[in-house]
Amino acid sequence: MLSVRELTKTFGAPPDRLVAVDRVSLDVNDGEFFTMLGPSGCGKTTTLRMIAGLEQATSGSIMFDGQDYTRVPPQRRNIGMVFQSYALFPHLSVFENVAYGLRPRGVAREEIASRTDEVLRALQLDRYRDRLPATLSGGQQQRVSIARALVYRPSMLLLDEPLANLDAKLRVQMREEIRRIQREFGILSLYVTHDQEEAMAISDRLALFNAGRLVQLGRPRDVYRHPASLFAAEFIGRANLLRAKVLDRAAGAAKVMLPGGGMVAVPRVVALGDAETARVPPDADALLMARPESMKLGPIEGRMPGRILRAQDLGGTNRYIIAAEAALGELTVEAARSAPEYGEGASVGLALNAEECVLFIRPDPR
Amino acid sequence: MTDRRMPGQALPLVLGTCAVVIALLFLVYPIGSATLGAFLRNGKPLAIENLTLANFERFLTSGSYQRAFWHSVVTGAASTIVATALSLPMAYAVARAAMPLRSLVLALSVLPLISPPFIGAYAWVILLGNNGIISNLLRDYVGLGLPSIYGPFGVTVALALSYFPYTFLVLQGAMAAVDTSIEEAATIAGASRWRVLRTVTFPMILPSIAAGMLIVFIKAIGDFGVPAILGGEYQVLPTLIYYQIHGFFNLNAAAAIAMVNVALTVLALGALAWINRTRGVATVTGTARRAARPLPAGLRWSAIAYVWLVLLVANLPQLVVVLYSFSERWGDTLLPSVYGLENYRRVMGELGTVVWNTVVLAGAATILCLAFGAVAAHATARGRIYGRWAVDLIIMVPFVLPGLVIGVAYLTAFNEGPLVLTGTAAILILAYFTRRVAFVFRSASAAITQVDRRLEEASTICGADWAMTMRRVVLPLIAPALLAGGILVFATLIGEISVTVLLYSARWKTITIAIYEYLLGNDIAKASALGTVTIVLTLILVAGASRLAGRNMADMFR
Repeated sequence: MLSVRELTKTFGAPPDRLVAVDRVSLDVNDGEFFTMLGPSGCGKTTTLRMIAGLEQATSGSIMFDGQDYTRVPPQRRNIGMVFQSYALFPHLSVFENVAYGLRPRGVAREEIASRTDEVLRALQLDRYRDRLPATLSGGQQQRVSIARALVYRPSMLLLDEPLANLDAKLRVQMREEIRRIQREFGILSLYVTHDQEEAMAISDRLALFNAGRLVQLGRPRDVYRHPASLFAAEFIGRANLLRAKVLDRAAGAAKVMLPGGGMVAVPRVVALGDAETARVPPDADALLMARPESMKLGPIEGRMPGRILRAQDLGGTNRYIIAAEAALGELTVEAARSAPEYGEGASVGLALNAEECVLFIRPDPR
Repeated sequence: MTDRRMPGQALPLVLGTCAVVIALLFLVYPIGSATLGAFLRNGKPLAIENLTLANFERFLTSGSYQRAFWHSVVTGAASTIVATALSLPMAYAVARAAMPLRSLVLALSVLPLISPPFIGAYAWVILLGNNGIISNLLRDYVGLGLPSIYGPFGVTVALALSYFPYTFLVLQGAMAAVDTSIEEAATIAGASRWRVLRTVTFPMILPSIAAGMLIVFIKAIGDFGVPAILGGEYQVLPTLIYYQIHGFFNLNAAAAIAMVNVALTVLALGALAWINRTRGVATVTGTARRAARPLPAGLRWSAIAYVWLVLLVANLPQLVVVLYSFSERWGDTLLPSVYGLENYRRVMGELGTVVWNTVVLAGAATILCLAFGAVAAHATARGRIYGRWAVDLIIMVPFVLPGLVIGVAYLTAFNEGPLVLTGTAAILILAYFTRRVAFVFRSASAAITQVDRRLEEASTICGADWAMTMRRVVLPLIAPALLAGGILVFATLIGEISVTVLLYSARWKTITIAIYEYLLGNDIAKASALGTVTIVLTLILVAGASRLAGRNMADMFR
């Protein structure tokens, strides 16, 4: 098990000191596929590089199976790493690239050959054994890079945005492949990406980073359904934000009024910043977050009014971009093929499934 | 597991320490020592009461010192102007005239740089000297007397023709980089070709012109071989230094002259640095650069003819040397009347020794350059070391300073005191290293920045220690660049004279010293045989290096 405690990395001296990673703590279980997700510059890659030993932590600790890794140099950590650029040795054959990590481990010559070939077969690379990396496609290079990281049976696998250099279709294919290999090898894996869809699709659990901090940690579906902040709500999935006034609230739930749209009861309430959960004045401003699939379009009568700005045909579903007075920004609603269709400029009524919504109390005045 | 200092981590520490010691001892200390020596009374040890400005006083009192100073400035400036005047139209022609055999033209243009300038200098003696081939032909058939090749005229011409490739290469590069669509815009606006050149192209490359001129100036005021052979009574600073040492062995006076020479160089360097800082603004590079509008046929052919004429004249010395070496009689005719190998037979006795000496000295220096250059380049490119600029400075300063100055610096530093090297092979090897390590350092630095830093990280993650990462990843990837740099060092050391002439001893006579001695003894035939050997060896090596680096020979000198 990997345990990271209060991990901090700062660059520069006090006046222009930059805190790249700010007291990050997390635990990753054996065999788990764990993703660090966040926008660029959020500290996820720096955290990964500290776990790899490529960056020295300013403070905090990294423990693996009870051993303190914090000051152990990278070549002694027995980890595998896949780089965004693959970082394949351009002058070495596929075989030599993969076998590379076995040599410093003093593995016997025959065993190097057999173990390397075994991994090459497992990743369907045996045909390219004697080729140079430059002659391979992006996806194949990616697999060589994974093979090189796995061949010496590392205690964990670190992947730094490994799919960023692939085109969209291959990206989806490769992420399934990575997940399959990870299950097959049963290896603790730490994955870094800025692509929330990717993170949702392959992670057992994920950690969301923002501005150097770990802001939320959990299973992908839990983070999607129960975002702990506006940032989380907007970064993972699409978030429709509606202005609301709090009418009444009880433990964990609230009744709110939407402008021109009647009253709804919301079962989940998140207090932002120092908002005192217990004492919210009547008529307090709040933001109601609804996912695109939690909203429905219908006749105007008795519903929140809106106007279709753009209608996008996604094949399986229709996506509408809608302007509404109650909304903060534009709303996105996805409707099944079977639902009535609307053209651009049409006026519609908006309904929402309050059961699936989250209410943010006292949000930042935006 | 928590112990950070493992065997694998000790190696970079040891290598780094070695590099720092070598840098301080052989790159910094000699120059510091010479600087100090310039302010000491001749032959006196370092002490407060021995400090003096007397060594500089002669620049105020002695006519010969003042003349040497002004001669340096005048021949430096004059040869710079001639070189620029020659290369401006040439660069324009090569960049714009759809030059046939373009890469051959570029390769031929650097030949004067490859063959040592002083070899070219005495070729002018053969051609235009008092009893020269062309002089005799002109006198006998046209009745025209030429100005003496000895003196400012000859020095200026020989320097200009030796160093014009620098201005040419800089200008040609700048002109090729100018976004042709800017010129097209001017043409569309109604400007004539000449007007475009004058109001658009020329102002854009002006900083490059200045930069090229300064390089030629720096090289010209530091040259020893040309004024030593063509100067005669006409002394310049480097020859003055030489005579101070060979005539009087007055190291402190020589150091003072060297300091004045350095001051001129530094002045030019400062200007160069200033221009280089502002240069980026001028060259606008478009993403999709198209070929320039072709010149009209007439203009194009005259441009091509001009280019080949300059190439012919600039390479004439090398040609003459080779021709002369194979001639047994060359009287009043345009070409030799009898050919043969007699000259080579006559130098046979000595040839083996001097070639062997040269190879040993240059080879040892090259190996030192490779080792030090690679370590320094990697440390500055990758290590978190402070004062990267200092490393750059320490390596580049001896590279741009005149060779004679480095010679003087080595004499003052290692003639007495804790480390005496005078008269050994080591002093030559180390001085060569000092003068040339920049070649390897620069090409290795460029190569290392091309190597993705992640490759080294990937190697470390795989469990490799520093040594394995270097051996298996970094070195193989930069090997071609290192080799190319190394060959360039070796090749240019074969023709080295300005350091050698101060530091050699009878035991370690090099090929260039042998040539120089033959020339002083007026045995041009023997000198040309050895000169040909030098030119051919150097040419083969540089061509090999450029093939290895996958670049045109001309790019090796940019």
